[in-house]
Amino acid sequence: MANYQQTYQDYIQQNEDRDGIRLSWNVWPSSRLEATRMVVPLGCLFTPMKERPDLPPIQYDPVLCGRATCRAVLNPYCQVDFRAKLWACNFCYQRNPFPPQYAAISEQHQPAELIPQFSTIEYTLQRVPAMPLIYLIVLDTCMDDEDLQALKESLQMSLSLLPPNALIGLITFGKMIQVHELGCEGCSKSYVFRGTKDLTAKQIQEMLGIGKLSPQGGQQGRGGPQGPQQPGQPQTSMNRFLQPVHKCDMSLTDLLGELQRDPWPVAQGKRPLRSTGVALSIAVGLLECTYPNTGARIMLFMGGPPTQGPGMVVDNDLKNPIRSHHDLEKDNVKYMKKACKHFEALATRAATNGHVLDIYACALDQTGLHEMKYCCNYTGGHLVMGDSFNTSLFKQTFQRVFSKDRKGEFQMSFGGVIEVKTSRELKVQGALGPCVSMNTKSACVSENEIGRGGTCQWKMCGFDPTSTLAFFFEVVNQHNAPIPQGGRGCVQFITQYQHSSGQKRVRVTTVARNWADAATNIQHIAAGFDQECAAVLMARLAVHRSDTDEGPDVLRWLDRSLIRLCQKFGEYSKDDPNSFRFSENFSLYPQFMFHMRRSQFLQVFNNSPDESAYYRYQLNRQDLTNCLIMIQPLLYAYSFQGPPEPVLLDSSSILPDRILLMDTFFQVLIYHGETITAWKSAGYDTSDDHENFRQLLQAPVTDAEDMLARRFPLPRYIVTESGGSQARFLLTKVNPSQTHNNMYQWGPDGGAPVLTDDVSLQIFMDHLKKLAVSSSS
Amino acid sequence: MMFLWDWLTAALSYLGLYHKKGKLVFLGLDNAGKTSLLNRLKFGTMATPHPTGQPHCEELQIADMTFRTHDLGGHKQARRVWREYLPAVDAVVFILDVSDPGRFREAQKELQGLLKDELTSGVPLLILGNKIDDPRAAGEFQLRTAFGLHGLTTGKETASLPEGRRAMELFMCSVKEKQGYGKAFRWLAQHF
Repeated sequence: MANYQQTYQDYIQQNEDRDGIRLSWNVWPSSRLEATRMVVPLGCLFTPMKERPDLPPIQYDPVLCGRATCRAVLNPYCQVDFRAKLWACNFCYQRNPFPPQYAAISEQHQPAELIPQFSTIEYTLQRVPAMPLIYLIVLDTCMDDEDLQALKESLQMSLSLLPPNALIGLITFGKMIQVHELGCEGCSKSYVFRGTKDLTAKQIQEMLGIGKLSPQGGQQGRGGPQGPQQPGQPQTSMNRFLQPVHKCDMSLTDLLGELQRDPWPVAQGKRPLRSTGVALSIAVGLLECTYPNTGARIMLFMGGPPTQGPGMVVDNDLKNPIRSHHDLEKDNVKYMKKACKHFEALATRAATNGHVLDIYACALDQTGLHEMKYCCNYTGGHLVMGDSFNTSLFKQTFQRVFSKDRKGEFQMSFGGVIEVKTSRELKVQGALGPCVSMNTKSACVSENEIGRGGTCQWKMCGFDPTSTLAFFFEVVNQHNAPIPQGGRGCVQFITQYQHSSGQKRVRVTTVARNWADAATNIQHIAAGFDQECAAVLMARLAVHRSDTDEGPDVLRWLDRSLIRLCQKFGEYSKDDPNSFRFSENFSLYPQFMFHMRRSQFLQVFNNSPDESAYYRYQLNRQDLTNCLIMIQPLLYAYSFQGPPEPVLLDSSSILPDRILLMDTFFQVLIYHGETITAWKSAGYDTSDDHENFRQLLQAPVTDAEDMLARRFPLPRYIVTESGGSQARFLLTKVNPSQTHNNMYQWGPDGGAPVLTDDVSLQIFMDHLKKLAVSSSS
Repeated sequence: MMFLWDWLTAALSYLGLYHKKGKLVFLGLDNAGKTSLLNRLKFGTMATPHPTGQPHCEELQIADMTFRTHDLGGHKQARRVWREYLPAVDAVVFILDVSDPGRFREAQKELQGLLKDELTSGVPLLILGNKIDDPRAAGEFQLRTAFGLHGLTTGKETASLPEGRRAMELFMCSVKEKQGYGKAFRWLAQHF
């Protein structure tokens, strides 16, 4: 049995490496009724841009199924008749002739898309002209000089990282909004707007005097500075506000250098007036009327909350603090609903146009991310939250936005449209992640929605190699219509997008899994359970629920699901908690749920609404590994007792002679135990006789640097010691096996007691077993 | 643990009838025990919260009062926003970690700054010496000396003070052992 498990783990890993996909169930229950009894829904985590440097460059268009309602892409799971040059679609069973250029195929000579190792493949479309990327900076000038200076320098530096043909624009705002004309040497010119009144795209277009770029690439309307453009050369049509970097980098560098703090006076006891809502609206409108459906990033940098006009989150009187979770619970927040509506509408518009909205918010207090989160959640934009722009956290994170892959290309993709196709026995219920529904109906769409449903196509305006969507599926096959023995169900993901090089590409991933009759073969289904994927899917569902449900209701739902999963798949004798056993591939799941329910994703105490919005944004976006780290952080121990090793996330792991390294995704923390700290105070780390101690101290630092180098956004790096204030980052995350209530049972060497009345994993498990085996529940 | 939550919300709403309202800020260095105290008052339990990042707010029932309590971060950078929360505040609670004499100077500097701040010059100031359960804890007299409070505080019993005199007092407490802060908040409520 152990061997069997090992095989499954390998299978899951191989599939993830090849297809960027993990499924909660790898053997599917063959009837609707049985599928509803699995507790954890049939779903997947799909990373469309998973890095695959080994993929062959395919320079032709994909071959599509000829049935108008299907249009699935030819893939390795299709049956091929090489003699008759026909292929049978594995989704609709239509027999299709190969196109003429495939005349030479044979069993020995197959195109890449038929070879099993290319169940994920990428096509580069040749017909579509490459487009330059567009970056529009929207910059808040209401911040102190130190922050503004640091931000200006970061932006100046970023100009050198952009491709020379990229278009760039600049909007600055405080009380008023300025749209800057670029490329005019010597004098800087800008158009000034009031921040209290919203403008439509058409009004913006007229006020700025710019023409509309039609889909053919020509310009219409009045005032186009360059006159009409030749069709097919859209990259040459531009306006004074969006100029190629190679033309304007000098003048833009100067312009940024001369930017001053917003000149409007701020009285004692007041906040500065910040017209963020209208500034962002102008940015969206400007791109909407000039470059719809072209990859573009609007990058908003802000140092405080919007305080006037549409989208204001709090007024400018410091007597009125910005809303808290307490206010949200009481449904007592003056500006929130209107602000949410404003930013949600802007996000929807940007998503429709295929534009990305990034928010970089650096301030010590909240900046309104709770209201503005839609911008990033809908468009796949980055959301970065920091204390100040003058920190390495912001500076390095921002620099990494422009990092390149091994081929020297940006790791950002634009304008993605993901379409899902399913076998007849399956339908797609919805998606959770940084995307919007395109409301495309098809035979694959389920009526029972989960997340963003009612569609078979989703738009992801911006995504990178870790952006990950969760999809949920419904088995629709009826109980009395059995699937033949050995039958397989298939799902195909067709992702069309604009590559950072400007090329239009299509990535196709096709996966197939076996069906099993749950009535007779439940053990096969159970063996295909992927607890890590299941934990992340349930975590995303819980976070999604907390948008609308009360916190305690979400916890109850999570608890009930866990108990039902134990009842269904555990082995036990009724009413005997000690008899409860979970097979290996389920055994970690309760622990994930234990940490999830204690986490900042579901507990709002000691968090602001902005912080909650930020943490949830990341859980909703990152890949499986990163999400798991967020749910249950990793802990490593370093000591003289042996090589560094992973240890339990438990208070018993905190020993005096150990150094611990914890990764929570958001923080990377090094913790020195009491003895280590004492040795350091005694100066052993600087004495010549203790080279080995120096090495011990250095080892976790080297590993931490490694973690910091790879992660986006840059985590907070903390070095602390036993009893240190910052050690609380560790103490809140470990399972509190030892607390001040039970420390005498453990004796002096059993770890570090945590001052808490929180329930430990052991007690949680005892309760869980009791409830699972109880005949009354 | 859901039953506990239900019971507590029921108890709070019961107590919540016909109360006066007020706005409090919790100030103090990081790791002094601000959020732990808030947790203790709100949920009745002990917890080790993560260091507070952005300010957050809870509503509390203490003595005869309903308090809107702003819990602000205590680390050095976070102290820059303290002043933004001082306008319109009805009382300030300043929490000290009495088990960490190494940081008394740092804490005293912040307390001095607060005493000089005209935004709160008239409002009652409650100073809580937390963690008296710790074996390294400084005593009350020692603390008064270290923080120069002799002659500044206005007494634990007096309900009425001369016109223009700011109510200010030090109370020793342990959030962990549930000691001392009840009396302190009853004192604070008197001076509202």
